[in-house]
Amino acid sequence: MENITKKIRAVAKQALIDKEVDKILGWKKGDLWSDSYPVFITKPEDTDTLIWDLFCINNLSKFLIKELTKHDKIGIFIKGCDSTSFNQLLKDNRINRDDVVLYGIPCEGMVDPEKVKKIMLNERVREIKKHENNFTLISKNKNIDVSGEEIKYDKCITCISPNPVVYDQLLSDEVENSKHSGDRFKRIEEIEAMSPDQRYNFWKGEFQRCIRCNACRDICPACSCVKCVFDNEDAEVSGKAKTEGEDTFFHLVRAYHVAGRCVDCGECARVCPAGIPLDLLNRKIIKDINEVYGEFNAGMDSTTPAPLVTFKLEDTDTFSKKGGK
Amino acid sequence: MKKILKTKLPELWQKISTDFDLFLPIEKNKTLNFSLWKDGEKVNLDKVRTTTSSKHLVFPQTETYLKFKNQNNKLSLKAVKAIGDEYVIFGVRPCDVKSFKLLDNIFLREPVDTYYREHRDRGTIISLACTNPEDTCFCSSFGIDASSAPLGADVAAWDVGDSYIWKPQSEKGQKLMDSTKELFTDIDEKDIQNLEKEKSNIQEKLEDLPFNNIDLSKIKGTQQEIFDKEEIWNEFSERCLACGTCSYLCPTCHCYDLQDYKGNNHGEKFRCWDSCMSSDFTLMAHGNPRTTQMQRLRQRFMHKLVYYPKNHKGDYSCVGCGRCVDRCPVHIDIVKIIKKLGGENNEL
Ligand code: SF4
Ligand code: SF4
Ligand code: SF4
Ligand code: SF4
Ligand code: SF4
Repeated sequence: MENITKKIRAVAKQALIDKEVDKILGWKKGDLWSDSYPVFITKPEDTDTLIWDLFCINNLSKFLIKELTKHDKIGIFIKGCDSTSFNQLLKDNRINRDDVVLYGIPCEGMVDPEKVKKIMLNERVREIKKHENNFTLISKNKNIDVSGEEIKYDKCITCISPNPVVYDQLLSDEVENSKHSGDRFKRIEEIEAMSPDQRYNFWKGEFQRCIRCNACRDICPACSCVKCVFDNEDAEVSGKAKTEGEDTFFHLVRAYHVAGRCVDCGECARVCPAGIPLDLLNRKIIKDINEVYGEFNAGMDSTTPAPLVTFKLEDTDTFSKKGGK
Repeated sequence: MKKILKTKLPELWQKISTDFDLFLPIEKNKTLNFSLWKDGEKVNLDKVRTTTSSKHLVFPQTETYLKFKNQNNKLSLKAVKAIGDEYVIFGVRPCDVKSFKLLDNIFLREPVDTYYREHRDRGTIISLACTNPEDTCFCSSFGIDASSAPLGADVAAWDVGDSYIWKPQSEKGQKLMDSTKELFTDIDEKDIQNLEKEKSNIQEKLEDLPFNNIDLSKIKGTQQEIFDKEEIWNEFSERCLACGTCSYLCPTCHCYDLQDYKGNNHGEKFRCWDSCMSSDFTLMAHGNPRTTQMQRLRQRFMHKLVYYPKNHKGDYSCVGCGRCVDRCPVHIDIVKIIKKLGGENNEL
């Protein structure tokens, strides 16, 4: 990871000096072990603060929408999931490919601080070290060795595209696909196996905890409307009321609105302070699309038309057979 | 002061909940929140910080206060009373206890907010000292002592190993302890020693926290000067998503919006949490005076660190609970802002 950090700094510095780009989006380290956050850099000398570590989870692609209104050309570091998000933004016509230089970083998965804290609750974690496929959690008084599966984000464990699918320059060798990438619909199948009533109650229980903070929407690369319907005072649906009906309405509308455009980056679930597994909701739709229209993963390229916005005579429709509540 | 064995807690919860709604930190699906206790719920008193704060008990996220109906062209209005019974909340950490005081400053000054008043009056608050403060805690920056009996708690409690020590601090607190006295035993010299040990143990941990030295007095300059530091506000707001997570999780944020449900011939007026981070904040008939995210983010931190203290005898509108530090999806947090405004340059 140190090597990639060095490369990131060198690449960013040179790009700014050569005026190849006028802004760089990358990550920087804060005070706490888990605090790696997005930074936007315009001065070559500031590139020395860029980093790459186990916590560079933030997807920088979405920031491009806003940033490109202020800058002509932006350099950005992207992981696999960030690259599919990028393609989706291209397909949605929210950004131009020519305005961006992409530095791809193959990613072996990021560490979920919540999982670490669960293992080391009240132990004061100081640092996490990676060796091959294992990690050591280091706290003031003890060290614990754990496997990647124990502390990586769920979404990283089942990731299907750890290598960037689009880039101008790749900063390291490609990594192998996660051995659990075939498992990403496992949990969905469990939920599908529930009775309609059980399923209804499952989601009811989840949505109940929603505090309507909108983080899931605001982080999502598929949520790119200039004015979200839930922010539109004139639409009379912007209700900020915390009631069962409105919460459910919000989530179902959002899920359908990103259907076929959700790149399964899992950011919505990561940022939810209420721990609602929104990724499952969106992934269910991905699974349905796969079954009905053939395998399709949004963001794998920026040109293939999405199944839900195209019509083919051979399309089948199994919705009528499934039922629900 | 009395003590109760941890093994007796289920009995205590049972007893309290026959007379009161009992709210405890309950763990459910990755979250820990003050929820209504029922037998069998998973209570977690070891983790210091609940996901959302305790403010929803006195300031519900959504609260209807008026119902209206239009029948045969006659309009009838019905005021709705504050919903909820007398309640006891156990496990409120010293930072959250202080937040009640900060909310009181807003809701209980003239004209008194009667809904808030009712929720406040109905509650008995039992604090719990923080045996294991988290890395993101910085309450001491606001003069809060996580090892102590906080002002405003009706009963203060400490975890001393196999039992909890309870110290009544108000009439309400005394009454609650009287009504459950068969579960408590008197304390002896040894218990006092344990309590002192627990307190110094906490103190020691607090001193070791990464944000132990956050110094607000380093923020220099007049209100206008701080307001005008646009470079700083721009830097932070660039990556702000404008979600409301920081203010919705914050125990001291108190902004609300008034809205209507409109049916065909009847409806409801309610208030609900608002956030200075949302695009329709301060939207009024003539338009919105805050048109950019920079202005909204600036409002958040100016309010917490400058306006509120100016209006409330120097008290900041932050208690250092660390929720926003932990949960901001892009790691903008009040600690970074305080450091930056205080002249520490390395943090954006
Ligand atoms: S819905 Fe969730 S998983 Fe899908 S693109 Fe948006 S943030 Fe990513
Ligand atoms: S992030 Fe979570 S709590 Fe916030 S609106 Fe989305 S689902 Fe609700
Ligand atoms: S601003 Fe942050 S740290 Fe301060 S009280 Fe609010 S949530 Fe807690
Ligand atoms: S203005 Fe912002 S920071 Fe202040 S109380 Fe309201 S929501 Fe919180
Ligand atoms: S939680 Fe973070 S990103 Fe969201 S509004 Fe607050 S500061 Fe901005």
